[in-house]
Amino acid sequence: MSYKVTEEGNISTVYLNGEIDMDVTEKAKEVILPIVETGKEVHLNLKDVSYMDSSGISVLIESHQKALENNTKVVVKEVSKSVLKVIMMAKLEQILNLE
Amino acid sequence: MNIEESKDFPVSTASLKEVRVFSREVFEKLKLEQDLKDELVLAIAEAAQNIVKHGYKDVENTNDRMEIKISLKDGDLEIGFFDKGKPVIPENIQHRKLDDIKPGGLGTFFIKQIMDDAVFKKDQQKWVNHLVLTKKI
Repeated sequence: MSYKVTEEGNISTVYLNGEIDMDVTEKAKEVILPIVETGKEVHLNLKDVSYMDSSGISVLIESHQKALENNTKVVVKEVSKSVLKVIMMAKLEQILNLE
Repeated sequence: MNIEESKDFPVSTASLKEVRVFSREVFEKLKLEQDLKDELVLAIAEAAQNIVKHGYKDVENTNDRMEIKISLKDGDLEIGFFDKGKPVIPENIQHRKLDDIKPGGLGTFFIKQIMDDAVFKKDQQKWVNHLVLTKKI
């Protein structure tokens, strides 16, 4: 997994790239959660994430919940078809902010 | 087409990618449709992850290996997982309720959603755990 972070105003966009599994979830959390904790709105762009398992889904949930604690939000953007399928299997499409 | 392929991997999170590569290669030979392939690869990866995460919980480093065997015979897909981790007590395995939104606890749910059946067999001398996932395809 690789990533890129861009900032524009109060929005930080994290572009994740590759496959998100248990081997990289700590790295993903280390990137995302500190930004969420600053209170900024975080956009997670998943267009280049080709695979995500339950560990990756946990990162999305944890990020979403951390955002609520910090009175901000995480928006999950440009989800690839294969990842959307996993999100829907977990019945999270109504919980996460998907765009 | 009938097939039987097996491969072993170090018990490590770093092996999960290799597990997916192996699974995809086998399902490529079977010419399954993409959606089904994706689902089966996810189920296999989740089961392998459970071995690493739960079977070897609190084990810092191990030289143990786990083996995955994929076989298809007359439309019956069987995926076997062999490991030497902590003995699994099937009755203790449960996924979290979906409306209890929290990180974790989804892997087993995904496996059950995707596969027809998941059974731990006690038929191995060499291994501690033998999980068999089956699906009619």
